[in-house]
Amino acid sequence: MSGENGKQTHRIYDKEGAASSDRPWIFRTYAGHSNPRASNELYRSNLSKGQTGLSIAFDLATQCGYSSDHSLAKPEVGKVGVPVNSLDDFHILFDQIPLEQMNTSMTINATSMWLLALYVALARERGEDATKLQGTTQNDIIKEYLARGTYIFPPKASMRMIAEMYEYCLDHIPSWNPSNICSYHLQEAGATPAQELAYALANAIGILDLIRERGKIQGEEFHKIVGRISFFVNAGIRFIEEMCKMRAFTELWEEITRDRYGVTNPKYRLFRYGVQVNSLGLTEAQPENNAWRILLETLGVTMSRKARCRALQLPAWNEALSLPRPWDQQWSLRLQQILAYETDLLEYPDLFDGSLVVESKVDELKKGAREEIDKILNMGGVQAAIESGYMKSGLVKSMSERMSRINTGEQIVVGLNKWTEGLPSPLLKGEDGGVFKIDAAAAAETIKALEATKKNRDQARATAALNKLREAAKNGENMMEPSIECALARVTTGEWADVLREVFGEYRPVTGIEGQRLGLEDDRVRALRARIDRFADASGHRPRMVVGKPGLDGHSNGAEVIAVAARHTGFDVIYSGIRLTPEEIVQSAVEENADVIGVSILSGSHLELASQLMDKLKASGAGEHIPVIFGGIIPQYDFDALRAKGIRAIFTPTDYSLIDIMERIMDVVEKKETVPA
Amino acid sequence: MQELIAKALTGDKWSIGRLISVFEDRRPDAANTRGEILATLATHPASRRGRFIGMTGTPGAGKSTLIGEIANRLIRMPAPADHGHVANVAVLAIDPSSEVSGGSILGDRTRVNFALDEKRLFFRSQASDRELGGVSRSTFQVARLLYYLFDFVLIETVGIGQNEIEIQYVADRIYLVLQPLGGDGIQFMKAGIMEIPDVFVLNKADAAEAARQSYYALKAALSFVRPGEEDRVSIIKTSAQTGLGLDELSENIYRAREIQPRRSMADKERFYFEKWVRDEFGRAGLRELNQTHGGAGAYIAAHADSFDQSQAAFLDEYKIAGRALR
Repeated sequence: MSGENGKQTHRIYDKEGAASSDRPWIFRTYAGHSNPRASNELYRSNLSKGQTGLSIAFDLATQCGYSSDHSLAKPEVGKVGVPVNSLDDFHILFDQIPLEQMNTSMTINATSMWLLALYVALARERGEDATKLQGTTQNDIIKEYLARGTYIFPPKASMRMIAEMYEYCLDHIPSWNPSNICSYHLQEAGATPAQELAYALANAIGILDLIRERGKIQGEEFHKIVGRISFFVNAGIRFIEEMCKMRAFTELWEEITRDRYGVTNPKYRLFRYGVQVNSLGLTEAQPENNAWRILLETLGVTMSRKARCRALQLPAWNEALSLPRPWDQQWSLRLQQILAYETDLLEYPDLFDGSLVVESKVDELKKGAREEIDKILNMGGVQAAIESGYMKSGLVKSMSERMSRINTGEQIVVGLNKWTEGLPSPLLKGEDGGVFKIDAAAAAETIKALEATKKNRDQARATAALNKLREAAKNGENMMEPSIECALARVTTGEWADVLREVFGEYRPVTGIEGQRLGLEDDRVRALRARIDRFADASGHRPRMVVGKPGLDGHSNGAEVIAVAARHTGFDVIYSGIRLTPEEIVQSAVEENADVIGVSILSGSHLELASQLMDKLKASGAGEHIPVIFGGIIPQYDFDALRAKGIRAIFTPTDYSLIDIMERIMDVVEKKETVPA
Repeated sequence: MQELIAKALTGDKWSIGRLISVFEDRRPDAANTRGEILATLATHPASRRGRFIGMTGTPGAGKSTLIGEIANRLIRMPAPADHGHVANVAVLAIDPSSEVSGGSILGDRTRVNFALDEKRLFFRSQASDRELGGVSRSTFQVARLLYYLFDFVLIETVGIGQNEIEIQYVADRIYLVLQPLGGDGIQFMKAGIMEIPDVFVLNKADAAEAARQSYYALKAALSFVRPGEEDRVSIIKTSAQTGLGLDELSENIYRAREIQPRRSMADKERFYFEKWVRDEFGRAGLRELNQTHGGAGAYIAAHADSFDQSQAAFLDEYKIAGRALR
């Protein structure tokens, strides 16, 4: 079929009118572990394999603004990413990697300003041109409050920091994306496609409205800022719907930029986004199946040219088991390369234009999203919807519904709730058990480097830099330049964050558990309730369970679902919140005279946390009296070690049935030694 | 048991935690144990005589956060004049339970900021256990114990805004926490709770204009509900965010020690004994108590002035101890 000027509809033409094909998206792998030296080696090896951008994973201490020697940080150093304490660490992390040529994405939020300041300071010290830096700081604080949990400051102060970074970057680092609106984590937290669209767009509106209100940037310059907004999106297994979601995103963003902000230049109205495909749906059971899931999810964000991602990072097939090894990451990278270079995907214009089915589906998603956006804006915008707990409750509700569907078998997950019998996977047979293990000595190297930095720096300059930062924070001045001076003066991550904690205070979250219901009603639930009533009659009280999350990882949804399920079956649940020290959880259990302590851990620090927790329990006198159970991403090979430390039951993502979990918890409660009154 | 009590008096959290459970225990035998514990405490040289402070108000008014701030201030104030100890504070926070399962999620702990291993502070959560009235069936029981262990017992009610009347039979002073422009005033007027508080706390007063408006709205409401009193009732503006009014509120609570409690412990025991009989034996039980035994006061007096012995005896007398368990 021929179109105008003899051009064929199924081909792509360049500006000169010659037939061409598209350039591939940026290939990334989310990586970082142990310490800056080990991570640098990994980055250079990944780049040599054809990866075209960096995606840096920071450890939780760095994300939460603690230096590696802080007591909350210690069990986490180098676990889920690389620890960064000062500019000295950055010099090692980017050794032999030319900054001007690199596109670097940093998964960093509450401390984004600090990490960007370090990056600029590094360019300056290395004599590279800081204005040429390219990349992204994730810097989406809203989804931290909602789902991910690595917030530090209250919403107002956090939003101010984001706005200041946009204002700074516009003049100084024009190709930097100061923030990346993340719908990714909303889907992980259970969001429906309409919620994902609405919450992410409402979030972007929140940032742009704020920058407009601040009035420092106006007219064409403000339009440029609109053009800098980029998104980080999730792609789930329902890949047709996901493709439609991406088209809906693109169309809604065009509308919003035009109607709300009056942007006319099409360049500034593009919906620019990067993707990490879904990790939540990856299963620990039959983990090799995840390879297919990743492939299908990738199609959702690449097939439609109009809604194709700018950058893509894929999880590894074994992520539900633990951190992936370099080989696992290479396998995922190869998938991207085959799709981009072996298949004909990039030769065609949009494949779905004109499809009535796709159009209708996109309209439905847009309608649902618009309604939800209006609701949030009427509430006073995204900040108000966070503070009131509205968005959080919405997510926890969707999540418990999703769990219920999997529990009842209504939603099929192959290998998990259907066709669970399978041959053992040879992929798990290697010497390492198919997973990555962190060298325990790596953390010591980091802490030693931190001590050396503090010892060798010009203390007067560091103090002066921190004072300047404090003044800027108090007086409402832009904090970027003072932060860069802090970086150059070898201030540490913890010191930078402490000064701002002092000025802004710390955020305390609204939990998503209030008012939540679980739609689970069957004979087993009723039988368990009856059993709990019998326990209450015999012991004189309802079973009391303390639920808490130690450590810095803030994925609170698992703990919250357990809390809701426990209440649903008749427990009195003392929910003690997230980001607690093990000592704080023990104190809650001791004061509340709990019958069981339930701890949720996803950071990989379960062995360290188990030791700290059991030591404290013993010291409090409640040692043999209160049993402890663990849940989270805990590999099978650590079960024995945990049991030896006294952990009575361990739950992992394979235990997806809530009623099974609650029955097993009740077994633990009933087996505990009875304490004479 | 003696060792447990001795350790509890030194502030040992595990011992206090376990003793509280005895006072929450719904089994009939627990009444005797409670009687023994209280008898020991009443004569122990290290025991205290606490004041009960009721904190009530709608959900979202910021009660928990406020309580955390106040407790941290109270323990830094000078030792109460009536004994030489440093002041200590217990918080008893009551949350609603599910009608369907009877279970509950008690989340108030997440909103107070208490230092780890601080022996002068103690926090305990309670489920309302399907009780209306804002407090749980065992709130009074636990209060009887905490009376001897702490100088200040801050009781945080469920905070549904209505049916919160019962707190007045436990607490010596009642603080109603309101938020600016929450429309709470009207609600409370309707619920008849405006008559009860000793002090009104206008929280989240960092929004100055809203706080000012609410202050005058509250004054106006008071002039209707409590005519002639509106100038004597204290209204304190607070903000946990800016620190506004927190010292003033803490001092106001601290001075509660100098004010005569609105009800004596014996009064409270009579009220709760009657309530307990009604809960366990219904109207028939109540008739029995009043007609055969001359009422709660007479019954307790006839049983060595002991609440616990009276409960045990009444259960024994009516031989339906099994039914007492729900």
